[in-house]
Amino acid sequence: MAKKLGLKERYALLTRGLDWETTYQPMDAVFPYDSYEGIKIKDWDGWADPFRLTMDAYWKYQSEKERKLYAILDAFQQNNGQLNISDARYLSAVKLWLQGITPLEYAAHRGFAHAGRAFRGAGARIACQMQSIDELRHAQTQLHAFSHYNKFFNGFHGFAHMRDRAWYLSIPKSFFEDAMTAGPFEFVTSISFAFEYVLTNLLFMPFVSGAAYNGDMATTTFGFSAQSDESRHMTLGLEVVKFMLQQHEDNVPIVQGWLDKWFWRGYRLLGLVGTMMDYMLPKKVMSWAEAWGIYWEENGTALFHDLGRYGIRLPKHHEVAAKEKQRLTHEMWTVLYQYGNALSLHTWVPDDEEIAWLSEKYGATFDTLYKPRLLFLRAAEQRGERYYNNRLPMVCQVCQIPIFYTEPDDPLTQCVRIVEAAATRHHCCSDGCADIFNHEPMKYVQALIPPQQIYRGEAGGARDIFEYAAWLHLERDVDTGEYRGSPDQKNWDAWQEAHKTKPANAA
Amino acid sequence: MTFRLTIEPLGETLELEDGQSMLDGALRAGIYLPYACNHGLCGTCKVTVLGGEVAHGQASSFALMDVERDEGRTLACCATLLSDVTIEADVDEEPDAERLPVADYRAQVSRIEDRTPTIKAVFLTLDDAELHFQAGQYLNLVIPGLDGPRAFSIASAPSSRREIELHVRKVEGGAGTAYVHERLEPGDELRFTAPLGRFFVRKSAPEPVLLLAGGSGLSSPKSMLLDLLESADPRAITLIHGVRNRAELYDDALFEALAAEHPQFRYVPCLSDAAHDDAWQGERGHVHEVAERLFDGRFAGLKAYLCGPPAMIDACLTSLMRGRLFEEHIFMEHFFTAADAASPARRSALFKKF
Repeated sequence: MAKKLGLKERYALLTRGLDWETTYQPMDAVFPYDSYEGIKIKDWDGWADPFRLTMDAYWKYQSEKERKLYAILDAFQQNNGQLNISDARYLSAVKLWLQGITPLEYAAHRGFAHAGRAFRGAGARIACQMQSIDELRHAQTQLHAFSHYNKFFNGFHGFAHMRDRAWYLSIPKSFFEDAMTAGPFEFVTSISFAFEYVLTNLLFMPFVSGAAYNGDMATTTFGFSAQSDESRHMTLGLEVVKFMLQQHEDNVPIVQGWLDKWFWRGYRLLGLVGTMMDYMLPKKVMSWAEAWGIYWEENGTALFHDLGRYGIRLPKHHEVAAKEKQRLTHEMWTVLYQYGNALSLHTWVPDDEEIAWLSEKYGATFDTLYKPRLLFLRAAEQRGERYYNNRLPMVCQVCQIPIFYTEPDDPLTQCVRIVEAAATRHHCCSDGCADIFNHEPMKYVQALIPPQQIYRGEAGGARDIFEYAAWLHLERDVDTGEYRGSPDQKNWDAWQEAHKTKPANAA
Repeated sequence: MTFRLTIEPLGETLELEDGQSMLDGALRAGIYLPYACNHGLCGTCKVTVLGGEVAHGQASSFALMDVERDEGRTLACCATLLSDVTIEADVDEEPDAERLPVADYRAQVSRIEDRTPTIKAVFLTLDDAELHFQAGQYLNLVIPGLDGPRAFSIASAPSSRREIELHVRKVEGGAGTAYVHERLEPGDELRFTAPLGRFFVRKSAPEPVLLLAGGSGLSSPKSMLLDLLESADPRAITLIHGVRNRAELYDDALFEALAAEHPQFRYVPCLSDAAHDDAWQGERGHVHEVAERLFDGRFAGLKAYLCGPPAMIDACLTSLMRGRLFEEHIFMEHFFTAADAASPARRSALFKKF
């Protein structure tokens, strides 16, 4: 009797040798993109499949996951699950995810479809194909999970319309468009490795654990259903990086450059997530500084220690992230708070209990630098002078975050870096972003910067921030602005009151 | 209650403690199963149960779905055994593994010889049995009066089935090695379990062999070398043995003689601290530094076998990988000591074997 095959051999027989070498056209003409970044591949058969999943099994597993997820979403909706969340302020976090992150899932679907087409190795192509379908599924299931809230709360309605128009959504959007306009190896390094592997815990953990802590069954269940896909995405990221580093030593400096760039871009994007953790969650999971300590400083450092064996060092400017971790989220919240008239989510000054929590987590940094400012803003609000900055900020030419972060070594001085290309001056928020700009200036001079475009009249001719918000389909003080006194708050309080006074025998 | 877990296609069998997960048991036995989250959410460690009963533990219903449970799948990171179990896992087969049965042996101490001021060679004689093992494997020696056995690599060639050589370095504060150095006498009877471990020469792979040994870590490489030379294997073999100073170098006369006799074998002893050894004509520096000099920093196309203290292994791994020799061509033994269990070093999932 023939010896039983191992899983690896069985998978190879099922999946390999199904493609072919082209004859009418040279392979290089059919696959022009997988060599132009300078990555040298000696042997595509050296690709070790990060997971052994056949299409047949893939469909079967994914469809059962869908059935489970939608059964739970259905129960959540039937049982008015929206009443079980901790507080309606929590929904600012969900709105941020819906507006900022869900479109990224869709962008990832497009990006992986493109990268899959570009790789001449069948193993890499299949892995990209599955991830592309996963990402489409994630976008769709997130929309369905969040859609229930749209029936009861404001600010959920316009995410698709706002994606290409809202000034703050250009932060996540530009991140992905930077990746998608790079070559396929850089795309996969940026998304699968830097984002999905190195930084994913800092995105997923706060949102999904945050959802669980705050009673959001729909989002929590989405998280579980996605996590089994995420593990495949992470192993793909690891495999891609090992593959490039092992195939040729000339690849090492190229990969290092990408890790430098995408560490910094990912970190900048995560500033929004950290702010969500520290300020938007009524029930906190952990602070941004704690999460950064565990997921980057401990786990990330262990990973880069191992990568060191290939000649890879820690990404540039990681020490700046360490210096900023006590300050990042407080500075970001102040920005969101003041530009509240142009956001499709609510902002507020934390209550006393939350301020005490921030003091405990951030100590002297918070007490001396940020608590006085929050108390000042609260006093103004109580006088009926809630502060809004009704102009638009100058944003970074690379990460598109408003230029408001402070110098790494001086928390009282704004950090601005001026770069120049094609006889034009541009502004960056940090040395990290300035480095990225200077490496590919002719790429970043093309970035459309929302405030400039709005002031040029490209936002439907809006002349002020209120006309601009209307162009985003946002209703003033309903979708935007302060939480206290908003329809969301009033409805929530009324529903909670009704819930409490309901007779015990009512269904 | 302990149960036995057999992992196919390797055919390896291990014992799991009550409540110990399959994954934990496999990793501690040096068998890498793919895994990621380690708490039942991601599904990377999914395996097929071929026989026996398991408890799925905390496996998420999204990571391990009902249809999969019905088909006999489980997640190794959460699954515990309810009986003896056989699983099929996504592990690479080793064509050179001989899968020799593990058994308990009684042996007599026939000789104890000082090799260096800190290392003794202990010879064990089997009177009524033969030990079959692969060069590079180790045994678990029961030290009288101590809880739990101590692992020692076998330094003699597999052809020597009735006399086993061990190299025992006196470890500061180590009760087991202190017993061997201070109390063990010729004629004592000892019990051991063998052969153990997945460290052996990949003879089916044709590449030249690089043996890197530090201190008493010479044992496995010595056995491997003797085995290769005895079987008239023509491939090039380089042994680099690093020790602190001349007094700590041992078995050099044997290796010099073998190198003179076998042109394919090159022997390179090196001293990391030769300040007081003025007469020393050989290599100076740590093992990895000498290897880099000898191979001009290029290791691609070799198979490397490493045995020695953790700092030496760590430095050698970096040198080999920077010299373009990667994981699938590097082999070493994994010993889990009490210290590992107490302070698990943070490691990433980048490498499977180290």
